Amino acid sequence: MSALLSAERLELTYGQVSVCRDVSLSIEKGEIVALIGANGAGKSTTLRAIAGLLPPRRGSIVFCGRDVTAMPSHERSILGIALVPEGRHVFPFLTVRENLELGGFKSRNDSAKIRRKIGEIFNMFPRLSERTTQNAGTLSGGEQQMLVLGRAMMSEPQLLCLDEPSLGLAPMVVQDIFRTIRAINAAGTSVLLVEQNARYALETASRGYVLQTGSVIASGSCADLKQNPRVQEAYLGRIATAAVS
Amino acid sequence: MTTTIVLQQAINGVVLGSLYVLVALGLTLIYGVLVQINFAHADFVTLGAFAAYFFMHLVGAGYIISIGVAFLVGAVLGWLINAAIFTPLRRKGNELLPLIATIGVSVMMQNLMLAWFGPIPYAFETPYSSQVIRFAGIYVSWQNVIIIAVSSVTIALLYAFMKFTFLGKALRAVSQDRETAGLMGINPNQLIMLTFVIASALAGMAGAMLAPVLVLTPFAGTSVIVKAFAIVIIGGFGNVEGTILAGLIVGLIESYTTQYLDPGLIDIVVFALLLVMLAIKPTGLISERREENV
Repeated sequence: MSALLSAERLELTYGQVSVCRDVSLSIEKGEIVALIGANGAGKSTTLRAIAGLLPPRRGSIVFCGRDVTAMPSHERSILGIALVPEGRHVFPFLTVRENLELGGFKSRNDSAKIRRKIGEIFNMFPRLSERTTQNAGTLSGGEQQMLVLGRAMMSEPQLLCLDEPSLGLAPMVVQDIFRTIRAINAAGTSVLLVEQNARYALETASRGYVLQTGSVIASGSCADLKQNPRVQEAYLGRIATAAVS
Repeated sequence: MTTTIVLQQAINGVVLGSLYVLVALGLTLIYGVLVQINFAHADFVTLGAFAAYFFMHLVGAGYIISIGVAFLVGAVLGWLINAAIFTPLRRKGNELLPLIATIGVSVMMQNLMLAWFGPIPYAFETPYSSQVIRFAGIYVSWQNVIIIAVSSVTIALLYAFMKFTFLGKALRAVSQDRETAGLMGINPNQLIMLTFVIASALAGMAGAMLAPVLVLTPFAGTSVIVKAFAIVIIGGFGNVEGTILAGLIVGLIESYTTQYLDPGLIDIVVFALLLVMLAIKPTGLISERREENV
């Protein structure tokens, strides 16, 4: 079976600083895969490499059977990889509608389709439809997270990469966002989820990878990972002995 | 009497101001997209002036067509220089190299023009300068009517392009967050190229319209660019609306200073305003409001 995306033995560095030494992961069509780990483990860096923002020093990335290792981010976006970056990154001085329109940049010559897609996003997030002409920089954190999710979905991606979608949001809003992520996945989009809140991540995803200081130290189904003593100790806040006994 | 003088100088100020706006918009667009100052921008103004001059004198074309030619020459040269010099340097990932290269390009363009056109000022005359409309005691030359018409149409078109077209929105997106724009499938390099082409074309066009009031030598653009920099700073670096407003204000200051004070004081007044702006509102006349939400 050929995976939707497979990353093989990625070595990722910022200048001379090595962040990931050896990361391999794969995502099948229709899956939600979680990437968990502590601060600085290399989760965001791995996502950046997959989206094309950071060329790997070694290793390869294959998407839909195509080697995209050397492909710049804007071409990967057109192929079907969307990244919602950490810290949301709305275009602050563009309106909500303009932000969404740009999400559909590759369909720019089909204004009927853009309008239809924006309608779908507004159905998904009715809050956004009340703020169409407002500058995105004036939205609340939760609304901005909805906007960047919607913006990413405008390009009809096959793989949606989410970097810390819960960061800095109220628990109620986080539940909303995760419900939407599951709905997006149910409609056919594969999701790669980076999340510091391991509990949310493991409950949403079907499979997961655990990253520690730049290497994958555990992987498997989320059910198994939840039982894994090392994962419990480090990320779920339970003491390891309790799980063993 | 005095009201006619005030009105007369208002028109002169708007004429001058709209030309400054054309020059300053290019600077501000390039700064917005690249966060880089283009020191060669002045030389596109000079080049536009010479392009119009030679097109009129060698081809015998009319002035208005020559303004269009200056626009095209600016666009083509902007494209060429960006593709040949700035893009390869930018690819090396060092921000400083392209900035220094703009100084190199400026020196190179000035000296090439010096070699070709010589140091003696050219007399740029248009048939429209001497044709005057009299209206309620105010005199407006056809030259000034052309300048106001051409620049306001150009500025309006540029504004509409930035506001309503997909490409214009993409351009604003790139200037707000280049990396995220790339994630939308926007190729930032194409938009950087487009910005250079637009900026250089506007500078060339402004040169053709400024030429009759400039001392047309290979260094003519530098006298304008100093004010254009002041306008860009007063208007708020990278801000289109602020640049338009600041350009008109500086044009008006210039014409009223000439009338009521002394033409020699123009630069002093403009730069005093610049210093006051930097002291009380360093983000410019129209600063983009950003509300931080964490």
